[in-house]
Amino acid sequence: MKPHRAGLLLASGTALALLLAACGGSSGSSPTASSQPAASNQVFTYVTSSEVMVDGWDPATEDSDGIIAMSNIYETLTHYNSTTHTVSPLLATSWSKSADGLTWTFHLRQGVHFHTGRLMTAQAAKAAILRTKQLGQAAAYVWDAVKTISTPNQSTLVFHLSYPSPIDLEASADYSAYIYDTQAAGPTASNSALVKWFNAPHDAGTGPYQVQTWNKGQEFEVILKAYPGYWGGWSGPHYKKVVFRVVTQDSTAAQLLRSGQATFVEQVSPSVWKSFQGESGLRTVTSPSWQNLLAQLNAKTLSLPVRQAISYGINYPGIIAALQGAAVPSSGLVPPGLFGHFSNLPNYNYNPAKAAQLLKQAGYGPGGKKLNLTLTYAQGDSNEQVVATLLKSSLAKLNINLTTQSLAWPTQWAKAKSANAANRQSIFLEYWWPDYADPYSWFNNLLETQKPPYFNLSYYSNPALDKQIGQVESLVATNRAASSQLYRKMQMEVIQQAPIAPLYNVNYQYGMRDSFTGFQVNPAYPEVVFVHNLTPTG
Amino acid sequence: MIEAPSTLPAAGARLPRGETLRRGLAANPLLVAGGLMSALILVVALLAPLLAPFPADAGTATHPFLVLHPPSAQHWFGTDNVGRDIYSRVLYGARISPLIAVVVLVLACAIGVPLGVAAGYFGGWLDEAIMRVTDIFLAFPSLLLALALAEVLPPSLITLTIAIAVTWWPWYTRLIRGQAASVAGRPYIESCRALGIPRRRIIFRHILPNSITPLIVQVSLDVGGVILTASALSFLGLGAQEPTPDWGLMVSDGQNYFLTAWWVVTFPGIAILVTAFAFTLLGDGLRDLLDPKRIFLR
Amino acid sequence: MTVYVARRVALAVGVVAGVIVLTFVIAHVVPGDPAATWAGPHPTAAQVAAARRYLGLDRPAIVQLLSYFGGILSGNWGVSIHTHRPVLSDLAAAAPASLELVTVAMLIALVVAVPLGLISARWPGRVGDHTIRAGSILGVSMPIFWMALILQLFFSQRLHVLPAAGEYSPGLLFSHPLTRLTGFGLIDAPLTGNWPMFGSILTHLVLPAVVIAAYPAGLLTRMIRAQVLDTVGDAHVQMVRALGFPERAVFARFAMKLAWNPVAAAIALVFGYSLVNTFLVEAIFDWPGLGSYATTAIANLDRPAILGVTLFIALVYVVVNLVVDIIQAAIDPRIRLR
Repeated sequence: MKPHRAGLLLASGTALALLLAACGGSSGSSPTASSQPAASNQVFTYVTSSEVMVDGWDPATEDSDGIIAMSNIYETLTHYNSTTHTVSPLLATSWSKSADGLTWTFHLRQGVHFHTGRLMTAQAAKAAILRTKQLGQAAAYVWDAVKTISTPNQSTLVFHLSYPSPIDLEASADYSAYIYDTQAAGPTASNSALVKWFNAPHDAGTGPYQVQTWNKGQEFEVILKAYPGYWGGWSGPHYKKVVFRVVTQDSTAAQLLRSGQATFVEQVSPSVWKSFQGESGLRTVTSPSWQNLLAQLNAKTLSLPVRQAISYGINYPGIIAALQGAAVPSSGLVPPGLFGHFSNLPNYNYNPAKAAQLLKQAGYGPGGKKLNLTLTYAQGDSNEQVVATLLKSSLAKLNINLTTQSLAWPTQWAKAKSANAANRQSIFLEYWWPDYADPYSWFNNLLETQKPPYFNLSYYSNPALDKQIGQVESLVATNRAASSQLYRKMQMEVIQQAPIAPLYNVNYQYGMRDSFTGFQVNPAYPEVVFVHNLTPTG
Repeated sequence: MIEAPSTLPAAGARLPRGETLRRGLAANPLLVAGGLMSALILVVALLAPLLAPFPADAGTATHPFLVLHPPSAQHWFGTDNVGRDIYSRVLYGARISPLIAVVVLVLACAIGVPLGVAAGYFGGWLDEAIMRVTDIFLAFPSLLLALALAEVLPPSLITLTIAIAVTWWPWYTRLIRGQAASVAGRPYIESCRALGIPRRRIIFRHILPNSITPLIVQVSLDVGGVILTASALSFLGLGAQEPTPDWGLMVSDGQNYFLTAWWVVTFPGIAILVTAFAFTLLGDGLRDLLDPKRIFLR
Repeated sequence: MTVYVARRVALAVGVVAGVIVLTFVIAHVVPGDPAATWAGPHPTAAQVAAARRYLGLDRPAIVQLLSYFGGILSGNWGVSIHTHRPVLSDLAAAAPASLELVTVAMLIALVVAVPLGLISARWPGRVGDHTIRAGSILGVSMPIFWMALILQLFFSQRLHVLPAAGEYSPGLLFSHPLTRLTGFGLIDAPLTGNWPMFGSILTHLVLPAVVIAAYPAGLLTRMIRAQVLDTVGDAHVQMVRALGFPERAVFARFAMKLAWNPVAAAIALVFGYSLVNTFLVEAIFDWPGLGSYATTAIANLDRPAILGVTLFIALVYVVVNLVVDIIQAAIDPRIRLR
């Protein structure tokens, strides 16, 4: 016998494993795709790659990936239907607006209860909206036009606006539009007491699921359980539990999907996604989105010619090729599918010669001074990493030394908002998507003057543009065509001034098991799966 | 009967020097294998610019239209997620690992040897003090201290080198101290002192030469360990940064594509394995040759 | 014997104090602003200042050191910037899974190393010896993060015999939830009669444990071989042989026993080393232990967490070494007289 150590190790390991797999096989620990025990039909496992999915459970202030979970717990007055491009009823059954656009009347659905047990009334909805508006975080600006709210009876909600604004659209927003029970912690509880109650975790929504467990920073981060009293009912097969599992490695996520331990994978690299195609037990879905990847250029430290040079120095076709179907070329800031998108804008193309010329003006470029810049991007996203590397490469040809840093999202954001401006990055890479089916979000969040900065991480300040941003939303409600033209004008200005370089529009590439039906991608609610709408087929 | 593992002649016999060496080598196939492999790796490292078909790929060059191509005639090891030739990058990576190992070990010796000599020769409170400090550093398993240090400093190869060197010196202090203390206690050293020979001369002419052999053995054994530690830290993102063709970094970058593009992770990993293996083999062989009694074990 | 134990314990305590000081020094060597990260989404200058006060970063260094020291001893190891929970409770939650993993890995390593080391020493210089030596050097030269990926690819994706990741099948979370008594899944599951969970944890443990066992197996094989070869030449072993004991007994009963001492020390060493190696392996297998905690902390620049893990592992290591030393002294009287 030749005692080859490695062989012995593998052999004994395999034998042991097979033995144990046989022992534990019936309980679902066997990883083969075909044996799905009945119990797991009831559990929908959503695998996300974002490190900290939920930062806090207050529906009024949620501003990031937490909506993936919250959209199953909380509901809005209206819901945007991306197939028909219209706003459809949800918690409100019908609505109308006055001729001057300053008064909107919503009729609420009857018999809806919060998870706390209280009935959802117009008064409760009013309290929720006012609290969200008053806290002023995330997308609370969607309620900016609202002057007062009156409740003539239990199921009628009337908005009195100070200027015309598309409230039906705004009420369908994926942030800051949830209707929740403000008295969940007691009728006289302070705001901090309510926030503490939310983070326990508890929830006060009207939706089909409730929070069961929250393990912040751990792998099985969030578990939701069905809310039996949901107004939409539970007839027919439905998932009874939803598990949100954080897995940062694509390869691990893919293996979990193949073995049936995951039902839906939010994001994997394009080549891994392609490998799902045609595999039995799996389904792949691709769809355009309203998400784009933006490079916000630090307008305080980078002069105009330098910003324009960088915009010419980005290898757009190369990035799209390298991402193998996850990206499509963009035109302006607004993605296709939204009004305000124009495919005939004078966008930047990859033109290193022009870039070098512009840099020369500022004394940089090949043959000139070396320019040292820093770029930050979110960790856990392999596409952003590829983009960062490609940017580094194409800018290196222009004598720009780009240092790239991958950080967890909260850290990346905190760094960009540092009080100490020297600590901030030169280029901030991030995805953006609208808060509701309207281009406004790109402008007021990313380009309006902000002191201190919140999402305007090019630190850009243009009073003329600010003025236009102030005007455009009223136009949307009163003169749609004029608002479209104004959006066009604003995008031209942004292209000329180059505080932001849009890199590409995201193409969703989702991988999932084929053990359910009813899945629809809705770009208005990115990455959100409305689990109650799915029918498990086992 | 147990066979003696070495065929070196008994003490007292005189053989021509080459003969001793030749016999030693013949009895140590591992040393020969390790030596050849290590030499090959160093040659590859030196000649990387000539051997690599796409030398620019080891720098900032990218080829976005060639991403994740499997191994082919044009790209022997395939291309990575931004289209760079992996074979070229692996070749250039051979320059990084041994260089880091050399710098780390030189630094570690530069710190550790003088401290060890001081502790062993002078004894007393100096010995106690130095040994206690050494104990504290040795209370951290090797990778851990380097990791903690590398984490608080901005990530780079330089940080990595310093962090590992700070972790490595205590071993040499302990080693040299043992040697120095045993030599310093010998009667002829007493006589040297009594004769008024200056301390420095005693240290350099008597203490150090007697301690060198075990030090060489230990250092050569440690090369593999340093290479593994460095690649582990780069894998965690605490060492080499893009676009440096560091093997650990390449494995880390390739993790996400591994299932569909096995070559991105496999070849750099094999490179680490082969290099660490070669140098450890060499170290093992050297130990057999120079120190058959195997006093120094780690 | 008691004098020896007392001396060793006193030494260990001193080392622990030094370790705490060293950890503190590392923490404060660097610029960077943990207060800004802590302050969260809206750091106004006032909020950052408040965070700084809360984290105690505005006091002079020596005061910070003393308060850090006191804090460690009283169980306050700081608060994680990422999870916003006390680091010590995070560690307590994560440690059992890693200790479980490393213990099983060490068992696998010993099961492999002892026989192979003995075989190698029994017939040195032969082909078997050279093969085992090459194999053990392979073990210590293995980049384990790479080995983890390769094994995961083969056994999970290609052969489908072992699970890819996690501590147990997620379906079991609902059908057979594990009641945690000690925190160690492998102990709690049998204690509560939860056999499906036990089986599931074991299958999920196999791959990471084999990966972590590679280094200890290689090192211990080498060690055992070297130690046994040393002792078989010794006078007292020759005596035993002269007395007529068969070669097998000379080896197993006499040589191995003498070889045990340095090997025990080596076991303590690789235990500590393996605990740190979990950093490289757990994330790949989604094993929820200290390694995953540390990699997350590194990614988030969560300094209190990283230092907490560092300190924790160093302390475990000191304790393990202390225990091994005392056991060695109990077995081998020569040690305590040294």
